[in-house]
Amino acid sequence: MLKTRVIPALLLRGAGLVKTTAFKSPVYVGDPINAIRIFNEKEVDELVLLDIAASRTGRGPAFSTIESIASECFMPVAYGGGISSVEQVRRILGLGVEKVVINAAALADPQIVRATADEFGSQAIVVSIDVKRKLLGRYEVYGDSGTRSTGHEPAAYARMMADLGAGEILLTAIDRDGTMKGYDIELVSKVASAVSIPVIASGGAGTIADFGVASKHGGAAAVAAGAMFVFHGPHRAVLITYPSHAELSAVLS
Amino acid sequence: MTVCTRCIMDTTDPDISFDAAGVCNHCHRYEEVARQRIIPAGQRQERLAQLVAEVKRAGEGKPYDCVIGVSGGVDSTYVAWVVKDLGLRPLAVHLDNGWNSELAVANIEKTLNKLGIDLYTHVIDWEEFQNLQISFLKASTPDGEVPTDHAIFALLYKIAAKQGLKHVITGTNVISEAILPEKWGYGYFDWSYVKDVHRRFGSARLSTYPHFSLLHLFYYVFLRRIRMVSVLNFIDYNKNQAMDILKNELGWVYYGGKHYESIYTRFYQAYLLPRKFDIDKRKAHYSNLVLSGQMTRPDALDAMKAPVYPANLLEEDRQYVIKKLNLDGQQFEEIMSLPRKTFLDYKNNRNVFAFAKRLVNSSRRLIG
Repeated sequence: MLKTRVIPALLLRGAGLVKTTAFKSPVYVGDPINAIRIFNEKEVDELVLLDIAASRTGRGPAFSTIESIASECFMPVAYGGGISSVEQVRRILGLGVEKVVINAAALADPQIVRATADEFGSQAIVVSIDVKRKLLGRYEVYGDSGTRSTGHEPAAYARMMADLGAGEILLTAIDRDGTMKGYDIELVSKVASAVSIPVIASGGAGTIADFGVASKHGGAAAVAAGAMFVFHGPHRAVLITYPSHAELSAVLS
Repeated sequence: MTVCTRCIMDTTDPDISFDAAGVCNHCHRYEEVARQRIIPAGQRQERLAQLVAEVKRAGEGKPYDCVIGVSGGVDSTYVAWVVKDLGLRPLAVHLDNGWNSELAVANIEKTLNKLGIDLYTHVIDWEEFQNLQISFLKASTPDGEVPTDHAIFALLYKIAAKQGLKHVITGTNVISEAILPEKWGYGYFDWSYVKDVHRRFGSARLSTYPHFSLLHLFYYVFLRRIRMVSVLNFIDYNKNQAMDILKNELGWVYYGGKHYESIYTRFYQAYLLPRKFDIDKRKAHYSNLVLSGQMTRPDALDAMKAPVYPANLLEEDRQYVIKKLNLDGQQFEEIMSLPRKTFLDYKNNRNVFAFAKRLVNSSRRLIG
């Protein structure tokens, strides 16, 4: 395995996978089970699965969907979406998921990060931070799928999460999501240099070279990509792909 | 069981008939179809040049000349290669029905990247399609791939119309797929059949499923003048040579059986058809290769002795299909033991198509 993990980030909405642009206009990309089977055979390092409707609709995690997906995954998988209690985390980890991703619950009550890290270990807790770039280049953490400003400054918030016991930060640049224009390296670098835990850069990956930049210049320990692994060419045609080990090691070694 | 003396088709086809020499109706039909559709060697160069000129003219001023379908399989990948080789500018169209193998998507990706072809994908809503596939399993006919095939043709027509193109270049070919007993695979053009089966057994509304009625077909063919072109009938199509070219030029990888690039097709042909219907589609496929001179009859008979697919992988596929269709083991066994039916047990437009086909074939002879 390369020292920088390269992680497909899949968005679940209902029973299907979608891909958003700047957290909006979800496009249906297919059935998660089949997508995961393809990623299995492509020997993907790790997978992030985020249910983008679970918090918004208030229904919480869809346990049976998570279970059927997790049982299909050969690679470690992190699940996020609608998690609001320690009990839910216990149940999800019991379904064969390696890590949980917490976002809204941590914004509402940061202590959930400490409680879950204490019980399950930091390695199982990923805190997801969605960030918008404001006018004048200031960054701010946003909640509720990028619709609500929180007043938090990303690096400070990430440090707080790390202090509470988060094992990793999944850092998403909302404006870059789905654009394939490259990561927000300034943001990645700010957050990565503020914490000692791994930061997963997310939002904007379009080429393999972007991974190298996020790792070398941004200090990202891992890189996530969505659109790049599900869309092909100018029509954004759905076609699952993942770079070969040789292609990755050329930019990540 | 009686086996044809020329090809390897046998009485597992309920409608097979033999002449005095023991030669089956498929052999006779093959000859007729080959005469009608394969362009004779002497005329190929000229006819192909005419075709290319016509496609180019129709595509003038547009970003693409023609539409091709891609599945990652031999025939469609070879079409992509041939079309580029002829200097055309195709738009590739792919139907994602939720059963792509990794090999299929990797083959598509390599092909398009190497040849510089743009792609359009339609992803059928999986919950809808799952429901439709279960409808066909419950209908208990041996043509459970009709929902996929119908959607592919619907999509090809739709995208050609949307792009204002007149030519859909397909991989259907006489050399390797002219033989197929009607009851083994009826109806991919027949929406009324699909609709009736789903009305009886399904529950999901088919809202994103691409389909076309006779009226749509009439619109595409006669008003929009969209032509389906089987380009492989215009060239000397040799399957083994084609595969070698694809492997060497595109890094394409073979997946081990006709249409096995789709997991469901592989399961359907290797597991369900032999067990439930006593149908082994390899017979039709190898017979076809025997008649087109790309396989000898003894080799074909010999190849039939090999298992259709390794037993352990069959079991893996079976479990996956059950899981993916959201069935349980018992529901699946119930489906397997339902009494056999054919498309004739359901509403269909077979007579209309038979009439249209006769019309097309007679005009084909007139046009030459």
